[in-house]
Amino acid sequence: MSEEKKSSRRRPIWSGAISIGLVNVPVKVYPMTRDMSVSFRLLHRKDGQPLRYERVCTRDGKVIPWEETVKGFEIRKNEFIVLENEELRAALPESDRRIRIDTFVHYLSLDPVYFENSFILVPDGTPDAYSLLYTVCEEQGEAGVGRFTLRTKEYPAVVHAYHGALVLTTLRYASEVIDPSSFEELKALSGPGTKELDLAKKIIRDLSGDLDIADYHDTYRERVFTLIERKRSGETFRVEKPKAEEVKELMVALEETVAKLGKQ
Amino acid sequence: MEAPLTRVEFTHIAKVIYPEAGITKFQIINYYIRIAPRILPFLGGRPIVLTRFPYGVGARGFYEKNAPMGTPDWVETFPHYSETAGRMIHYVVCNDLDTLLWLANLDALEIHLLLSTVRSPRNPDLLFIDLDPESPATTADAARIALLIRDRLASQGVRISVKTSGKRGLHLVVPLVPGLTYGEVRGFVHGMGRELSRENALVASEAPGPANPGKVFIDYGQNSQGKTMVAPYSLRATPRATVSTPLSWDEVGKGINPGDFHIQSVPARGEDPWEGILLHPQGLPPGGGEG
Repeated sequence: MSEEKKSSRRRPIWSGAISIGLVNVPVKVYPMTRDMSVSFRLLHRKDGQPLRYERVCTRDGKVIPWEETVKGFEIRKNEFIVLENEELRAALPESDRRIRIDTFVHYLSLDPVYFENSFILVPDGTPDAYSLLYTVCEEQGEAGVGRFTLRTKEYPAVVHAYHGALVLTTLRYASEVIDPSSFEELKALSGPGTKELDLAKKIIRDLSGDLDIADYHDTYRERVFTLIERKRSGETFRVEKPKAEEVKELMVALEETVAKLGKQ
Repeated sequence: MEAPLTRVEFTHIAKVIYPEAGITKFQIINYYIRIAPRILPFLGGRPIVLTRFPYGVGARGFYEKNAPMGTPDWVETFPHYSETAGRMIHYVVCNDLDTLLWLANLDALEIHLLLSTVRSPRNPDLLFIDLDPESPATTADAARIALLIRDRLASQGVRISVKTSGKRGLHLVVPLVPGLTYGEVRGFVHGMGRELSRENALVASEAPGPANPGKVFIDYGQNSQGKTMVAPYSLRATPRATVSTPLSWDEVGKGINPGDFHIQSVPARGEDPWEGILLHPQGLPPGGGEG
């Protein structure tokens, strides 16, 4: 387990205020989750050189530089509407640096299927208003529901008290969650018999306990890191020298030429 | 781990070599990597002369006949006694990709080649006609004369190939069968120039340069031992990084602008009009030796 970073070295991804009616609670927003999945670089098997992705024309296979690209929306197969960056920028939601709370609900009444991503809110400046909002949410199990704009997207969001902090969780829109009733197989469920139901209840009672999420581990990740540790002492592919992007580009061209000359 | 792709370690690749076009050494190396399959057949087994521009195009470059100090031991050199210079010259011979990349890394933008191979340094294996339009004559005038020469030689059963010089002129080349002398080739080109000058007022067959304004000079004297021709696909030290570019006769017939052939455009050209021409060496029809 890596050491947690000092909070002074972290950078907020957003700052503004929770606004509840006329009351403002200034906060800074920090990520609460991190992706721990194993990531790999793709290498050329024969010499261990890292590969990179390029934007390649689907017609002639030529590499297209960024400055020659534009966004297109496919309206029909192979038919596109071109949208300029300025046009898209104009359509962005206005970030007014507010987390606007519309209503308060009981936190446990929220269905987790709507939960998307959580962020830690930290008081920005004087902590009085923050402290008050935290305490009231914590004591009553209430959560503020409202709207929050992060980068290019406006989210429904919920603010609740968790482990000494206010935590903001962005929610999915209703249209982003698929309604299970759209599955045919689910429409014709028949009710179970009494005996089966009693047995099922017993099994559940026997297995009931408390959840400690720390009991669960990403065993794939652990096995991969064990493998990496083992390989570290033996066979490794190492890039000989950190090289500038341009030198890497030359090596790519060189590889093609060497292949061509080999054929000649 | 396999062997690295090249023995050359590229240095200072961000250095700007063509200040006007903002072209860096990275682009020059990239160009020679990409063009290598096309240029190497013309360089192999042949002494070359470098024109190096370590301070960029616009600053003074230098013409380097001798292999420079620090030439790696894997670069082939060809020692040859130069009668005009009165001393030994150690020419570089570029037989492989690594040598080409080493040259590019030395800022040797222009690669000039001798018209002989190391096997037979006193005999030409290339006939070279340098068509140099003297202002106000233009590249179009040079192209007109080039087409005349092509037709004339075709009627004698000789196929000649054409490239831009990378500047205003055109270069015509015939790969030759072994055994001809420079005198014979020079005489043949001179004779043809004289005849063409009688038929066409654009042609000058004797004196180069300002002595013949508005004419296209057929420079026969280039067919001499020790003289060089800029290699096909060599970059030139021009502001726009033009390339001495092999052309098809169709292109010449339609009209060309030599400035269109440069470091960016040439690697993207389709067919190589000069592909394989060295595989078909030709003899010269009787046309008078020198004198």
